[in-house]
Amino acid sequence: MLTLVLGLVLGAAFGALLKLSGASSHTKIVNALRLKDLTIMKLILMAIGVGLMGVYLLDLFGLANMKVKELYLLGLILAGVIFGVGFALTGYCPGTALAACAEGKPDAWVTVLGGLCGALVFAFMFPGVEESLLTVGRYGPVTLPGLIGIHALWIAVPLGIVCIWLAMRLPEPGGAQ
Amino acid sequence: MKKDVPYHHGARHEDTNPLLSWWAGGIGIGLVLIVAVGLVQPIGVSAQYVVLDGVLLHAVLPDVASRSPYLAKAAQGWTLATYEFFFVLGIPLGALAATVATARFRTRVVPIEWRRRFGSNPGRRLVWSFVGGFLLLFGARFGGGCTSGHMISGISQLAISSFVFSVALFISGIVTARVLYRDGGSRC
Repeated sequence: MLTLVLGLVLGAAFGALLKLSGASSHTKIVNALRLKDLTIMKLILMAIGVGLMGVYLLDLFGLANMKVKELYLLGLILAGVIFGVGFALTGYCPGTALAACAEGKPDAWVTVLGGLCGALVFAFMFPGVEESLLTVGRYGPVTLPGLIGIHALWIAVPLGIVCIWLAMRLPEPGGAQ
Repeated sequence: MKKDVPYHHGARHEDTNPLLSWWAGGIGIGLVLIVAVGLVQPIGVSAQYVVLDGVLLHAVLPDVASRSPYLAKAAQGWTLATYEFFFVLGIPLGALAATVATARFRTRVVPIEWRRRFGSNPGRRLVWSFVGGFLLLFGARFGGGCTSGHMISGISQLAISSFVFSVALFISGIVTARVLYRDGGSRC
């Protein structure tokens, strides 16, 4: 019960942040992909920069519950390409579409509906896909520090700083303050 | 707040000037991730689409649902009462609360950049939104995560898979957006 409440509260905070920072706006996303308004890139870089340092700081004290996803090169590249096309078409991602739904945007409702169908189709393709595509270039859940063999903090902190620096350096949208 | 502000994209004020600046929003999302990783696990959204599919299908056609090992594994126990699902359920609730609290409830079917390129036909926008949503979740499940799970959570854990997925996603998204919204009429 407590974990359900915790989930709802964290999710609500996430949803509110997505909404308030403009990430659930079709215009913002599409103009980010057109490289005309980099606010969303700045937002993502900032989130990653903060997250990266925070997560590995927790890890230093053994407090991070990590869950690293598996690496399978061919499948991931294909998946990313398919996702990218969908992303540019709808202007939402699976999370921001849900936030936009709550703002009463019918195109977001339809995006979620399409998403439920896409997920279902994939679910029924799964055993086949796993045997063929997902085995090409499969390496398991590798991380950058694991690959190089140095302590994660030596990568997490500098990369986190680079992300935040980059977030600050990328231009603000033209005209806006 | 219906007035257009002088802004070179010509989009409305609400869409181009979010209430939260990118840095405040970014720090906030980063903090949500840190709390989630500290207390439970990294954040993720797209798997819950499968869970909802599984639970709905199981309610209607239990045999068909059970036949998919992927559904059975994702929607364990065919229940929605999990931390993961409630996190995703929280997203629209939080967004709704934020929308109501800031009195920025403004709906439309066809977003401005879409209208500029493809006209104001709502049917067309809705059909392509459906197709886009389909590809989005098909790709996300194929890749094992979406913008939240792969990009934000994954890169924060320095997962190689998340770097690969994110780079592929952005290249594809940028190329598609270029082709789709061919910037003929734009002046910038």
